[in-house]
Amino acid sequence: MLKLEKIKKSYSQPDDSQVPILDIPDFSLDAGEQVVLIGPSGCGKTTMLHTIAGITNPDSGKVFVGGIELTRFSEAARDRVRADKIGYVFQTFNLLQGFSAYENVLLGMSFAKGKASPTRAKQLLEKIGLGHRLNNKPHQLSVGEQQRVAIARALANRPALLLADEPTANVDPGNQSQIIDLITESCRDENVALLMVTHSMEVANRFNRVVRLEELNLVVNQARTAAAEK
Amino acid sequence: MSVFKIAWRSIQHRGVGSVLTILSMALGVMMVVAVLSIYGMVQKTFRSNNSFGYNMIVGARGGGLQLTMNSVYYLSQPVENIPYEYYLAFCDQPTREKELKRSIGYQSRLSAEQTTPLDDGLVMPGGFFASLIAETITEDVFELHQDRAMGLGDAGLYRRWTHMAVPLALGDSYVDPASGEAFRCVGTKPSFFSDIVLDVDTEETFSFSQGRAFVEDSPEHGFFECVIGKTVSNRTGLKLGDRIQATHGDPNAESAHIHEQEYTIVGILNSTNTANDRAVFLNMEGFFLMEDHAKSVEDDSVLKSQIRDDSPEPVDESPNGEANLIVDPFVDETFEEAMASVEHFSAGASKKNSTDESAAGDQKWSNDNTKKEIAQSDDNPSVLPAVGRDARIPLPIEQREVTSVLVRTSKNDKAGVLSLLLPKKINEGDLETTLNWTPFRPERSQKASQAVNPVGEVTKLFTAFVGPIRNLLLLLTSMICVVSALSIIVGIYNSMNQRQGEIAVMRALGASRAKVMTIILCEAILLAVVGGFVGWIAGHGLNAALGPLIEARTGVEIGFFDFAPGSPLQWLPGGQFLPTWLGRLTISPEFLIIPALMILAVLVGIYPARSAYKTDVSKALGK
Repeated sequence: MLKLEKIKKSYSQPDDSQVPILDIPDFSLDAGEQVVLIGPSGCGKTTMLHTIAGITNPDSGKVFVGGIELTRFSEAARDRVRADKIGYVFQTFNLLQGFSAYENVLLGMSFAKGKASPTRAKQLLEKIGLGHRLNNKPHQLSVGEQQRVAIARALANRPALLLADEPTANVDPGNQSQIIDLITESCRDENVALLMVTHSMEVANRFNRVVRLEELNLVVNQARTAAAEK
Repeated sequence: MSVFKIAWRSIQHRGVGSVLTILSMALGVMMVVAVLSIYGMVQKTFRSNNSFGYNMIVGARGGGLQLTMNSVYYLSQPVENIPYEYYLAFCDQPTREKELKRSIGYQSRLSAEQTTPLDDGLVMPGGFFASLIAETITEDVFELHQDRAMGLGDAGLYRRWTHMAVPLALGDSYVDPASGEAFRCVGTKPSFFSDIVLDVDTEETFSFSQGRAFVEDSPEHGFFECVIGKTVSNRTGLKLGDRIQATHGDPNAESAHIHEQEYTIVGILNSTNTANDRAVFLNMEGFFLMEDHAKSVEDDSVLKSQIRDDSPEPVDESPNGEANLIVDPFVDETFEEAMASVEHFSAGASKKNSTDESAAGDQKWSNDNTKKEIAQSDDNPSVLPAVGRDARIPLPIEQREVTSVLVRTSKNDKAGVLSLLLPKKINEGDLETTLNWTPFRPERSQKASQAVNPVGEVTKLFTAFVGPIRNLLLLLTSMICVVSALSIIVGIYNSMNQRQGEIAVMRALGASRAKVMTIILCEAILLAVVGGFVGWIAGHGLNAALGPLIEARTGVEIGFFDFAPGSPLQWLPGGQFLPTWLGRLTISPEFLIIPALMILAVLVGIYPARSAYKTDVSKALGK
């Protein structure tokens, strides 16, 4: 379902020097598989997700999503693939404040191929227990409810892959478990592969496959080794 | 969810900022719409008057524009008058003959010549039949003399080039007692309603929503019938059968006074969307008989000498000592008495009360030259109705003046040559130098006249004055629109910082750069369109609100649903590049405002849209 090959990514500094951030020789994810990605801050978790999503292109290497080599595509084509095949849940929910819960979900469908389905949007919200809050704006929802809406929005297009970037980081501990349950169950129901980034070991422990980015990402790995040698 | 809906939600989300941007745009558009539609209606009103079917106005020499404003739009202060005979220069022979026979000169001559043959000792055989033959011969001889002397058998000087001519006498107003609103009175002939066409193509003339046109001498109301325009009817509530009194001169001036004569409304015109809707049309025969409307002959030495030489008219002393007119050609009178009788035409006509009581002199000029019913006394009031609304004596043409004559040159003149040449001829003094055929009004008593082409005058007005003002106003209001458009940039651009996150989220959800750019442009377009639409409604609302004031000041009617008249698209900037069929399409400039705003919005929206386009999603999501 998802395959990364020799991904390298670096950022330019103001002095034009390059700072490597990702060096992932190989990573893959099967269809419907659920994987949690953990690692310390600054180890490139979000950059990895952005690279997988096609938001940013790696300096080298290949990204395959559903068998499609994303890295060959232009930015516009990657946008289309992202709209059709990839869902994204953000740490800060990132619901559009001017839109109701229902419209936020509908918005997730608006950029994909085909017509947005109001029925599916409503069904998703009802499924996550927000059927009665369809017309509420984000600021009228609780934090947990907002994240649930964000999950529904990410799943609205029936993606093949869901990327979740620390979805429980801003949620109170009481709601964390519910959010994780909701994501994992929804992905299972919809046969969506899940790659979740988290800091929380409690969350990570609920997954069968846990990937430590500091081990996967050679940049971090080498840095750690160098630090240890000193 | 369409990009427009996404953009609209964003506008809603910005609340007050969006409302202020929309209001700013609405204000600019309101001003543009108001300028366009008011100017358009003014133009339309002027133009539609121009298509009335007359192409020349003859009036006193002076400003051509003032004459046009007076005669066509009933605006501005009245100009000087011209003698009634000038009008007759455009009339056919029967009309002239009828009118000339009403002259003092004719009547004087009549009395003189009719007396002379008898005095010269024409031997009359005895017996009834002999008297009858003699009388007939006398009449024939007399008529021949008269016809030659007065030119009764001739058509007017310009008749052969004239399709129709209608005189106008202005200067009075009707003031609604309830509201104080003043409407111009127009003294004219019944032919005004039948000869003047509202549309030269269809030859459509005035139509009446109620009643009829007044007649020259009505059995019911004498000379005092009138017709009112639609607006007058609507504003004053006047209806058929109501009686109104005209106010002499400027109703706001101290010298203004209400004429005693009452006119009966016999007709209400359908709306014409011209100044005629606001006019009160008085029968000219009655108009002349009102106080201060008859020209004094006191200073007319020529006329005096004419009367002295030809026909001193008898004057009878009424019991109260007033000089009352008795025109009796068989009675020799002194010159002074004759003049007194002449003066009586004006004095008697204006002093109803005194004439009523003293059984003022009255006379009936018969078209039959041999019969003159001239008599008056307290003893015979039924024969001699009082001067006033029951008067049956038209004012002699020497005492008549008109403000202007509306002339439509011959219909055969398709090339319009006459409408150019005839005014030139008149402006060169042709009327003054040629009209010496009236023995009672030689050329030196004539006043200088001019002829103007109303279309030319209005075009000059628009080209020299109204057009540039409109352009200036349009420039100013367009600047307001541009400033409003800039406020769209400011509004959207200021929101861009806080919207970087939203844009990044949309990008992360699969929106392309082009898509988010489109959303921002749609937002700018929506702001402009909504602002434009609100402004458009407000502009027409402003028109409706200012309508009564504009109408009162200018005579131009304007309401909520009055749009700026259309013009072919090929007249617009760049219109020459359009296909011919599209270029000929006529469209109101108002309907181009919204498309123009959309283009403007796209132009101003490009900047923030570009900012959205360049949003770094990774950075924005990381914030």
